[in-house]
Amino acid sequence: MNLFNIISELEKVDPEIMDRLTHRRSALTALGDISKKMALAAAPIAIGSAFNKAVGQQTLGDANAVLNYALLLERLEYDFYVQALAAPTLAATLTGADRTAITVIRDHENAHRTLLAAALGANAAPAPSRFDFGNAFATYGSFLTFAQAFEDAGVRAYKGQATNIPRTLNPTVGGNVVNVLTVALQIHSVEARHAAHVRVMRRAPAAGSQTIFPWIINGDANGAPAPVYGAGNPVATFPAEGNLSQGGIMSLATGLGATYTAEDVSAAFDEGLDNTTVVGIAGPYVRA
Amino acid sequence: MSNNLKKDSDEAAFAKPLYVPIKRRSFFMYAGATAGATALLLSGCEDDDGGGMTTPGTVNLGSGDVGVLNYAYALEQLEAAFYAQVVATPYTGISTDERTALTAIAKHEAIHRDFFKAAIPAASAIPGLTPNFSAVNFSDRNSVLTTARTFEDLGVGAYNGAGRLIGDTMEGKNYLLLAGKIVSVEGRHAAYIRDLLTAGSFAGSDVVNAQGLDQALTPAVVLAAAQPFIRETINGSNIGS
Repeated sequence: MNLFNIISELEKVDPEIMDRLTHRRSALTALGDISKKMALAAAPIAIGSAFNKAVGQQTLGDANAVLNYALLLERLEYDFYVQALAAPTLAATLTGADRTAITVIRDHENAHRTLLAAALGANAAPAPSRFDFGNAFATYGSFLTFAQAFEDAGVRAYKGQATNIPRTLNPTVGGNVVNVLTVALQIHSVEARHAAHVRVMRRAPAAGSQTIFPWIINGDANGAPAPVYGAGNPVATFPAEGNLSQGGIMSLATGLGATYTAEDVSAAFDEGLDNTTVVGIAGPYVRA
Repeated sequence: MSNNLKKDSDEAAFAKPLYVPIKRRSFFMYAGATAGATALLLSGCEDDDGGGMTTPGTVNLGSGDVGVLNYAYALEQLEAAFYAQVVATPYTGISTDERTALTAIAKHEAIHRDFFKAAIPAASAIPGLTPNFSAVNFSDRNSVLTTARTFEDLGVGAYNGAGRLIGDTMEGKNYLLLAGKIVSVEGRHAAYIRDLLTAGSFAGSDVVNAQGLDQALTPAVVLAAAQPFIRETINGSNIGS
């Protein structure tokens, strides 16, 4: 684990990172005085924070930053499913059709990270050495809860960046000219399909037949971390999933000439999320 | 179009299964008031063999951001009318769970439709369209869900393909974000419907390619697929591609 190598890699992505890391660097230096064991235990958290600083800036400056942000999330999702499929704790429960479905999702995430890395070429950020999902794989239920959180967060993350991608960014990837915005949208809706299926799996009797639907009702987290469904920053642009206001209409429940329930209105629209909040959700699982 | 008229004529009525007249009548009750009234008016005209106004006209979606919004509005009208019918005349053997979820989807699509109607300036908005679901057997689960799958996958591909056609202005960015808020819900619907038809087909290789990408379809492809379900002729040639 070479902390300074990582920081210098981050610097390539974000030239101003040292300014932001100054405080943290002194914290890291201080760690050197403590026992090696303590430093090793604390370092992963610091690295997670460093990644937060790198790709969790208030605005992602250019298309490369947006793509590297997406790449980090796809790497995280891919690794999450690789680890789940290999987890001894899930061998008896993640079986049959469920295992097949998770394999399909894993393969999509793998394709996404490959595509994004190819689109970035030399500008691709280095991959973290590993991802640590703690006790996510302890039970089938906890695995599905994490999966729901990552997929729903992924949907929100792509949506939150769509407007930062120029319409006319058309790099050549693998010999084909691709429109980056279109590709991002194509990945975005696949993540939504994943999220829906994971939610269907959670709804099934094997996971306790929870009151949960393929869509997000009233911003309910259903046991997943609340920030996945909460408001981002700024709130006006990134409201919580329970939001009822769209396109300048204060409440779609009462403002459309027919009365709809908050449940249906909130579920009819997914919301975007800013990168700072998303990396705050994902960062703790990133290891140097 | 003449085929449609022939199918709806009195001469062919005796050959229709019972569900067709039931579906048509209840559609008027459940679909939006405007769309229902238009359907009533137009289907009344169609029964007039050789009468003056025999066929609905052409609807031009327009160009620019309004064109894209009208495009989305047209598709949402179609989906909303379809699910309103599904809820009004549930297919044989529908489970409680399916009924609950399909009722929710019907609401989502109605909200999308009403939202676009409210968001597009009245002077630029297309009128209420008249759906043609004569190819759908609403009493048959497979017929209903297969049609639903077509609509949902088509909706996802349509939004994905149209994103870059929206102007790169402040207003355009708002529209793009709004479209994004809707398309992922359509993706969730698509996955759910697909899983109902074939468990595990939520992101099958017929819609998600080897690069893990969902479809992105041009308006021309989408409108050609949607046209058989709409009585008016939709002209989307000025939206872009």
